[in-house]
Amino acid sequence: MNSRAKKILLLLLAAVMLLGATFTQRQLNRDRESLGLTRVTPLENAPPLLAFTTVALGGFRGLIANFLWIRASELQEDDKFFEMAQLSDWITKLEPHFSAVWVFQAWNMSYNISVKFKDYPDRWRWVERGIELLRDEGLKYNPNDVLLYRELAWHFQHKMGANLDDANVYYKNEWLKEMSEVFGKGEPNLNELLHPQTPEEFQRLGILTNRFKMDPEFMEQVNEKYGPLEWRLPETHAIYWAALGLEKAREHPTKVKQEDLIQLRRVIYQSMQLSFQRGRLLADPFTKTFDTLPNLDIVQKVSDAYEQAMIDEPNMRNNIESAHRNLLINAAYFLYENDRIPEALKWYRYLGQKYPDKPLIANRPDSLPGKITLEEFALDRIAEDVSETSRDRVRAAILGQTIMSYRELILGNQQRYEGLRHLARILRATYMKKIGGGQGRIDAIGLPSDEEMEKEALQAVLDPKNEIWPYEMRAALRAALNLPPEPPPTEKPEASSTTNAPTATSR
Amino acid sequence: MADNPDCRGVKQIWTIAVLTWKAAFRFRLFLVLALLLLAAVVGLPLLIKDDGTARGFTQILLTYTLSSITGLLGLSTLWLACGTLARDIEECQMQMVVVKPIGRWQIWIGKWIGLMSLNAALLLISGLSVFVILQWRAAHLPAAEQQKLRNEVLVARASARPPSLASEIAQETDRRLRAAHEKNPHLTTAEVAQLREQIRQNLLSFIQNVPPGYQQSWKIDLGYAKNFLHGQPLYLRIKFNTSDQNTSQTFPVFWQVGVPQETPLWQTEEAMSLAPDTFHEFEIPPDLFDQDGILTVTVVNPNNLALLFTTTDGIEVLYRDGSFALNFARGLGIIFCWMALLAALGLAMASFLSFPVAAFASCAALVVVFSSSTLKNAVTEGTFMTYNQETGERGSPLDPVVIPVFKGVLTIINLAKGFSPIDQLSAGRSITWLELFRAVVQIILVLGGILAALGIWAFTQRELATAQPQS
Repeated sequence: MNSRAKKILLLLLAAVMLLGATFTQRQLNRDRESLGLTRVTPLENAPPLLAFTTVALGGFRGLIANFLWIRASELQEDDKFFEMAQLSDWITKLEPHFSAVWVFQAWNMSYNISVKFKDYPDRWRWVERGIELLRDEGLKYNPNDVLLYRELAWHFQHKMGANLDDANVYYKNEWLKEMSEVFGKGEPNLNELLHPQTPEEFQRLGILTNRFKMDPEFMEQVNEKYGPLEWRLPETHAIYWAALGLEKAREHPTKVKQEDLIQLRRVIYQSMQLSFQRGRLLADPFTKTFDTLPNLDIVQKVSDAYEQAMIDEPNMRNNIESAHRNLLINAAYFLYENDRIPEALKWYRYLGQKYPDKPLIANRPDSLPGKITLEEFALDRIAEDVSETSRDRVRAAILGQTIMSYRELILGNQQRYEGLRHLARILRATYMKKIGGGQGRIDAIGLPSDEEMEKEALQAVLDPKNEIWPYEMRAALRAALNLPPEPPPTEKPEASSTTNAPTATSR
Repeated sequence: MADNPDCRGVKQIWTIAVLTWKAAFRFRLFLVLALLLLAAVVGLPLLIKDDGTARGFTQILLTYTLSSITGLLGLSTLWLACGTLARDIEECQMQMVVVKPIGRWQIWIGKWIGLMSLNAALLLISGLSVFVILQWRAAHLPAAEQQKLRNEVLVARASARPPSLASEIAQETDRRLRAAHEKNPHLTTAEVAQLREQIRQNLLSFIQNVPPGYQQSWKIDLGYAKNFLHGQPLYLRIKFNTSDQNTSQTFPVFWQVGVPQETPLWQTEEAMSLAPDTFHEFEIPPDLFDQDGILTVTVVNPNNLALLFTTTDGIEVLYRDGSFALNFARGLGIIFCWMALLAALGLAMASFLSFPVAAFASCAALVVVFSSSTLKNAVTEGTFMTYNQETGERGSPLDPVVIPVFKGVLTIINLAKGFSPIDQLSAGRSITWLELFRAVVQIILVLGGILAALGIWAFTQRELATAQPQS
């Protein structure tokens, strides 16, 4: 073959290969796009230094990220955590579009590193670091990545919201404090943030949007769709971020996998269940602490969410049904306990319709919803925790309910006060009926009268020596019951610590 | 004095050292390096992201600034050491020097001293800057945080551990092994070895395990330190393991330090929530040890899992041993020793190689040093090829040669790498005078001495008048 023919042949071969590469390239580009591997997309919202670094380093970014990751792992094995925030920052910035890196680094800080510290403030710092990494950095560079929304929501729902970490109450308190900067000291009022009027409201709006990266209008939408919600509690924020993830998925349907959507919806209905169980915040000005109560206004929405989930996740139907049934049981009981009898009846009937063949009381197969009344069911729920024939335990339960009713009274919850008081009386009556027998039996294991038991509970909380309640609470109860005032104490007791720090005692 | 041959020798070395300084100034090297080091020291605190605590910030500042100083100075030392000798030879300036009444060893030593004095000055400037920045930042913290920082990081802390009981365990192991052997005299050598290990592990487990619902006490002898620890808080550093593999799990643990009715007593009223496989450090009040300086530490395990406190790092007591300033100076001393070794390495390479080759060879030697963990893995696994942990298959026919070489290289590397002044400073741990002395002996005298001997020999043998690659 002469040289001219050889050249022509080579040119033809090159042309064929170029053509082939064109087709392959198209497929490759499609795969890169669908798998989110494309590096052609410029980094959104990145500072110039980061944008330059990601472009200039090219493929070497991965090598450097690997090196830093190895260093981070080694340091973590040696319990040296002071560099972790910096290393996580570098690693994620080197791979800003790789959502698994953001997810891992945030999870590592919030879950693995936080528990390595014995003091709760130290743990909280790392949990916050994890949340900040996802919310402030990860979502900045990947505003449409549903995986990051899901992970952020999970941090609120599980790390802060659940009670798996010993420090979970501390986390909730700290979050409450941070949310107080946004909503002020009283009940959250979204209107103030939607239509700020005063400089103070503008300042709070600034904190919400700049620091917590939240949009008051979307909060309003979430509130309407899933609420009313208590915005100072972590599970509400789980719902917000999961809902925002769903919104982004709706805007960019081609980049979303069905499993990711299911996970987001799961976070929402599970967090709604939490909101139902403890979605009302009860601040106690006397002890400077807070308590939670069920949010009974969202029963319908939570139930709807569960029923939707059963349709979305047919292979998880049994588990979801079980959770839904628990929701209905709790709804009927909580509504009854709060003196909202018609609503309690409505949900109790619905429970009977949906799950007619499942007993409501443990060890009683005949306790089907259609066979026992709501009242019997509610009483059995109370008695479930106390032995039916144990006088001491029933007595303790009645006293406990009565003291709780006094607490509600001074906190201004008249309805709940009445409800708890009523329950205590019914509990006594049920017990007395069960023990039956003549006067001898009543003398032996019977309980004092309702009035005597209430008096006993009242004396217990009002006696300063018992130190059940602080002076301020005792004074408030005396005022509410029109009792003569107690002389003020000479010294104010100190507030107790809520940290994990050890208390020293010396001989 | 000038006629004294000894003094003349010193003067000649000094002259070469001064010439090295002059060259460093002529090429603006000193100025550039000083500026780079200062920029690293001042600029890093503005760039780094800390964990949000004063302690964490100080630790990361110490680590990053000292690492930057070590890295910058190390590379420049290596480059300068290779350049100062190799380029002098390549540019034929050395030929003009060696015709003077000066020995080649004096030229070599003079250059090394010149480099080292340059390093000393730069290290002093940058080290002092780090120290001032740390102290300045600490002084601006709230009093409580400042106190915590000065107790935990900006301090030199020594440590005491419970006795390891290694000899007692060995004796008891022997005794039980003898008894077992008497019962069954037909055990093979392999079975005896296996049985010995089992007995030892059982004894260790008995000492280290705190079963569910039980408590365990350790007696820690503070030794001579008891005399100056009165009124000073101590720190317990503890670590335990459990069979629970959940990395996010924590366990409640109660602590008591002291002996009831004998010493002041401190105890946790509420259980501490502690994670396994992690070092935890917490302050305990002063004066809990007895007259003999014995501190009794008791742990109560309320869990339904056993807690394992190993004899090596389960329990440790940290106490103040000296000031941070002196500790910091000793830490810089060890870094200075590393620089001395790098200078010797660069000069030794340049003694018989051209500048680029010497620089490349020196960098290759550094790569080997930084790959020591790979060498260590190979030595541990007994092969430099693949090792199958499940089947135990290992090997390459070259292992019998390569592994001993690796072992030798590791031993040499560890003579210099076995010190970790930056880690110790950032953890507030004491770097003792003995450690510094050991660093001087191992790094400068032994390793540096070997390199110097080789370098001087090669430089003395080298024919300088041969054609040089430089035009």
